[in-house]
Amino acid sequence: MSSPFSINGGACVAMVGKDCVAIACDLRLGLQALTVSNNFPKIFQYGDNVFLGLTGLATDVNTVSDLFRWKVNMYRLREERQIAPRTFANLVSSSLYEKRFGPYFVSPVVAGLDPKTGRPFICGFDSIGCIDFAKDFIVSGTASEQLFGMCESLWEPDLDADALFETISQSLLNAVDRDALSGWGAHVYIIEKDKVTKRLLKGRQD
Amino acid sequence: MPGFDFSNYNRNAALHARGVPLPKATSTGTTIVGCIYDGGVVIAADTRATSGPIVADKNCEKLHYISSNIWCAGAGTAADTEFTTSLISSQLELHSLSTGRKPRVVTCMTLLKQHLFRYQGHIGAYLVVAGVDPTGTHLFTVHAHGSTDKLPYVTMGSGSLAAMSVFETQWKAHLTQDEAVKLCADAIESGIWNDLGSGSNVDVAIITPEKTILKRNYIKPNERTQKLKSYVFPKGTTAVLNEKIIRKQDIGNFVTIHDLAEEAPAGGDKMEVDT
Amino acid sequence: MDTLVARYSRPAYQQENQFDDIEEYDYAADSVSGPSLKFAMPPVAHPSSWLRAATDDRSNPHCPIKIAHGTTTLAFRFQGGIIVATDSRATAGNWIASQTVKKVIEINSDLLGTMAGGAADCQYWLAWLGMQCRLHELRHKRRISVAAASKILANLVYQYKGMGLSMGTMCAGVTKEEGPALYYIDSDGTRLAGNLFCVGSGQTFAYGVLDAEYRYDLTVEEALELGSRSILAATHRDAYSGGFINLYHVKESGWEKHGFTDTNPVFWKTKLEKAEFSNVTSDFSEEV
Repeated sequence: MSSPFSINGGACVAMVGKDCVAIACDLRLGLQALTVSNNFPKIFQYGDNVFLGLTGLATDVNTVSDLFRWKVNMYRLREERQIAPRTFANLVSSSLYEKRFGPYFVSPVVAGLDPKTGRPFICGFDSIGCIDFAKDFIVSGTASEQLFGMCESLWEPDLDADALFETISQSLLNAVDRDALSGWGAHVYIIEKDKVTKRLLKGRQD
Repeated sequence: MPGFDFSNYNRNAALHARGVPLPKATSTGTTIVGCIYDGGVVIAADTRATSGPIVADKNCEKLHYISSNIWCAGAGTAADTEFTTSLISSQLELHSLSTGRKPRVVTCMTLLKQHLFRYQGHIGAYLVVAGVDPTGTHLFTVHAHGSTDKLPYVTMGSGSLAAMSVFETQWKAHLTQDEAVKLCADAIESGIWNDLGSGSNVDVAIITPEKTILKRNYIKPNERTQKLKSYVFPKGTTAVLNEKIIRKQDIGNFVTIHDLAEEAPAGGDKMEVDT
Repeated sequence: MDTLVARYSRPAYQQENQFDDIEEYDYAADSVSGPSLKFAMPPVAHPSSWLRAATDDRSNPHCPIKIAHGTTTLAFRFQGGIIVATDSRATAGNWIASQTVKKVIEINSDLLGTMAGGAADCQYWLAWLGMQCRLHELRHKRRISVAAASKILANLVYQYKGMGLSMGTMCAGVTKEEGPALYYIDSDGTRLAGNLFCVGSGQTFAYGVLDAEYRYDLTVEEALELGSRSILAATHRDAYSGGFINLYHVKESGWEKHGFTDTNPVFWKTKLEKAEFSNVTSDFSEEV
C-alpha cells in the first residue's frame, strides 16, 4: 500500500509579500489514480486573517480542520479575542506533537498577518508538529518538490499584493501540472491588512 | 490531559502492519558541538533541517533555551528536540522557582536523560547540554536512549565526525573565549561542507557566569546570490474564474468582540494580565 | 512439430538455452541490423524475478527503477475504418515525466500500434514488429495482414512470458482481405480480435463514453469526435492520463493523422459549448 500522504493527493503553498501574505491550494481529492472530487479545498479560516492549509490524508484533513475549529472557538470564548497566527501556529504544533506516537497524516501550513504589528507570518509543520518558520515561502503536499523548485525561482522579497498573487498562482499551477495527484483547479487567498481576496483559478483539468 | 495521546496509535500501527510507511518527520541531520574554555562554555550548531533528501528549512534554530544560564543544542528528530527541551525548560523553571536557586546543569541533564530513558529511544532527541551554574561550567551530551557523557569538547549529529576531526586536531587546554568560539565555528563549518545533512549558517551561544550571548547566524558562508532578473509576471497572467473580496469590517460573522478598554467598566475589577 | 509442442509446453523462462532457441526462429534468423533478440542478462540466478523485483512497482512499490506507466489508449472499428486515439502523459510514480509522449506507434504507412504499459517495451517491440512486417513484404511481395502482424507480436511476447515485459497494445490496419482489422495484444500473451478496445489505467473512463455512443455506422466526423471525447473523459478522471489527444484514422489507403491536441482548450470548449463536465464549476464551494 502506498503512503497515506499520497493516497488522496493535494498541494498547498504559502508566501510572504510586502504587508501581505498569500496561501493557495489545489482542489483535487483522489483515491490513488481515480479523481473523486475536484472541489476539495484544503485551506481553512480560523480568524480575520489566520489561515490553515492542510494536505495529506483527506480523512485526517477533515478531522484536523474540525479539531482546530473547536480549539479556536474555545480559545475565543476563553480569551474574548481572536487568535493570532503565531499563537495558532503554536496550538497546531503542540496539538500535533501530542500525537507524537500516533500522528495525523497531514502537513499543515499556517499563513496570516500579526494582528498587532500587521507583519506577515507563515510557517509549516511536519506531521508531528515541528515548526518550520520561513521568511519566504512554505510548501506542502504531493507536489511539494515541484513547488520548492517553482518558489525558489519565482519568489522574491517585497512583492505587492497583485505581484504576489501572480507569483503564488503561477508557482502552484505549474507545480501541480507536473504532479499526477494534484491540480484540477486552485484556490488562492491574498491576505492584506483590511481585506482578504479569495480567487478561484482556472487550471488544467487533466 | 498532559502527556502523549495514543488515540491514533492503533490505527497507524494497523496501517503500518499492512506495509504503509511511517510518516517522514523533519530531522535535523545536523552538526552540533560544544566546547568548554577558561571562563565559560560555547555551543554551536548549523541551521539546516531536512526531510529525506529535501532541505526543509535553510535557517532553522537548533540552539534551544533551557534557562538564562543553560542552553541546549539539538540533533535528531526536530520536533522531539524542540518539545523535549521546552518541557525540561519549564520543569526547571518551576524547580528553580520552588527552590529559589538558579537551575544547575546536572539537574537539567538528569531530567533530560530520565525523560528520554523512559521512552527507550522512541523520542529521537540527541542533545548537547551546556551551562554555567554555581558549581561551575558544564558540558554534557545526552543520547536518545538516555546515556550521557561529560567531556571538555563534544560533537553530535550526522556531522559529528567531521566536527570531531577539527576538535581532535586543534583543541588544546585553556582556550580563551575567542579561541573557543573560533574552534566551535570551524567545527560546524567542517560539518556544513563535509556532511550532506548539515548546511547553511553557523549559530553560536557563549555562556559565561555573567551572561549568555546568542550569536544567531554568526557565520553565513552560504548566502544566496541575488537574482539578476525578476520573474514577476505582469498583472492578469493567471486566469481567474471567480473572485470574492472579504473586507475586514464585513468579517464579524464569527464572534463580536468589544474592546473592554473603550467601554465603561461595569463594576468588577479588570483581570490581571501578564504582559 | 514435436519440438514446437515442447517449446510451448512450459513457460519460456524454464527453458535452458532460450536465447539460442529464439535465434533459430525463422523471422529472426536473418542477420540484419536493427532491433535484435539478443539481450544481455544480469549475472544473477533468476534474471526474471530479479528484474521484476527491481522494476515492477505493483509487486514491489519500493522498486528502485520506476518504469513509465499510466495511459489511456483506445481504438475502435467502424464503417469508415478504424479510429485510434491516445493521451500523451508519461508518469514515473506520481511524477509527470512527460506530457508529450507519442503513444501511437506508426509501424508502417498502413499499420498502427498503441502503447500502454512499459514505454520502452512497446517502442522496442513495435519497431521490431515494423521490421518483421517489412521483411514479410519483401519475402512475399505483398502487404502483411493485420492478423499475421499481430500474431508475430503475440508469439514474441509469449516467448518472454513471466519475465517482466509490460505492454498492452493494439494493432490496427485496414486490408483488402480483412477490411478494418483490430487486435489487442498484451504481455500475458493475450491476442484478441474485436470492434472496440480501451487499454491503460484510464480504460474504464474511456469505455464509459465509448460504449454509450458507439455504433458501427458512425460517420468519420462522428467517429473522430467520439475517440477524442473518450480520451478527454479519461484524462479528466484518471490521474495518470493527460496531456494531448493523439488522434488517427486508419483507412485502406493507410492511416491519416488528425492532430495532437492539448486537452486543456478542448476541455473548456467541451464544457462551455456542450455544458458537459458540470462537476467543474466557477463557484466557491462553501467551506466543508
